Amino acid sequence: MRHGSDEQPRHFTAPGDAPRVIDQGSVWILVAAPSIWAAHFLLSYWLAAIWCAKSGPMASLVEPRWIIVALGLISAALITWLGWIAVRRYGGVFVIFEEITESSERGRDRFIGHVALLLCVLSVVAIGFTVIPGLVFATC
Amino acid sequence: MTGQLLRRGILLIGPALLAGCEGRHNWLASAGAEAQRVEDLFWVLLIGAVLIWCLVIGAAVYAHRRQVDPSLETQARRFILWGGAVFPTVVVGALLVWGLVILRDITADEGDLTVRVDGERWWWRVIYETPEGEVVTANEIRLPVDRTAFFRLTADDVIHSFWVPALGGKMDMIPGRETTLALTPVATGNWGGLCAEYCGGAHALMRFDTIVMEQEAFDAWLTAQAAPAEVAEGDPGLEIFQAEGCGACHTIRGTEAQGPVGPDLTHLASREKLGAGLYDITPETMARWITNTHAMKPDIDMPPYPDLQGDRLDRLVAFLMSLD
Repeated sequence: MRHGSDEQPRHFTAPGDAPRVIDQGSVWILVAAPSIWAAHFLLSYWLAAIWCAKSGPMASLVEPRWIIVALGLISAALITWLGWIAVRRYGGVFVIFEEITESSERGRDRFIGHVALLLCVLSVVAIGFTVIPGLVFATC
Repeated sequence: MTGQLLRRGILLIGPALLAGCEGRHNWLASAGAEAQRVEDLFWVLLIGAVLIWCLVIGAAVYAHRRQVDPSLETQARRFILWGGAVFPTVVVGALLVWGLVILRDITADEGDLTVRVDGERWWWRVIYETPEGEVVTANEIRLPVDRTAFFRLTADDVIHSFWVPALGGKMDMIPGRETTLALTPVATGNWGGLCAEYCGGAHALMRFDTIVMEQEAFDAWLTAQAAPAEVAEGDPGLEIFQAEGCGACHTIRGTEAQGPVGPDLTHLASREKLGAGLYDITPETMARWITNTHAMKPDIDMPPYPDLQGDRLDRLVAFLMSLD
């Protein structure tokens, strides 16, 4: 249900001259966190695969393990920063108690902020799940 | 009427499905240390899944029957957040760690004995690595109880998969690569093994026996297998074997038959089964195997010998039955 806000301009414009990446009014914040998760997954996978291919079966995984953990912490820190932006600049909240149906800039911002925040949480959990095997296995 | 049909259907099909839970291919038989670890995880998963399913369905039925109460909206959303997001994440995370720890623990790079198994279409070449040298056999694996057997697996032609469900596994056998698998049987008995990767026409007939024995019995068996065949000088059966060209493909150690293509027959009659885990070894099945091979196992490379009949067939069968 819309709340009489159809008079709002339908064409959405970002503050400033052009849409800025990861800033208020940009939808890039939605894809940023899952992209960091994907990048962390690929880097971890490549690192372990190349390390084990060069070192042979049953070689120690201790060194790449800590690189994967460090990459995970850096990724989690980046995603936390994104989550902070989603909260502060978009007014995103983790749990919404009413539908966001307002067709206004504020309504769109709140929706993007909410979705971005959920994606941030999902991405951090997924990165955690990527790191866990690295911690459990000591050898290739 | 429909309900009656359904009940009859369940009564008819139910026992047939339960039959899959019994027997030598049962992966819930607790016959191997590795299988036991996976079995523990399975029961927890099954019971947990049933409990969660009951809770979810119970909550759905409860919600459906209740009057809508807007004052409970906040509480309901919190319930969904904790029950639908946080709880599953924690459970899946815990199961992931548990599964990974099991995988780590059952992966080994050595064992108390090493067995090389080569998957061929559609049988198994089995080679025991002993300090005295290699002991070659086929289509039957014997293992000592409570000892970890380390399998080095290869494939000669296409991808196969080595699986003894009751003991653990499975593991793919890939041409050009060597994969490994550790199995620690904890119960004596004859456990079924099979190829678990479709590999062509007779894939479903690519089986083997895994016989778990006490250590002393296993040692005696391995010593007997290492010895060449006891063949009498001028055995007419061996002469027929060679004259028909069987020795071009099969090896019988201690004779001139040294063919590397088919299964080693040095101690053929000591095995439980014929044709890679298919038929009991009797003079009748042996004779039929030789004369009507493709009726017993379609598509295999061994040609049938339908012209071999009468005395010549009897002598050849008697010779093969003496290879124990």
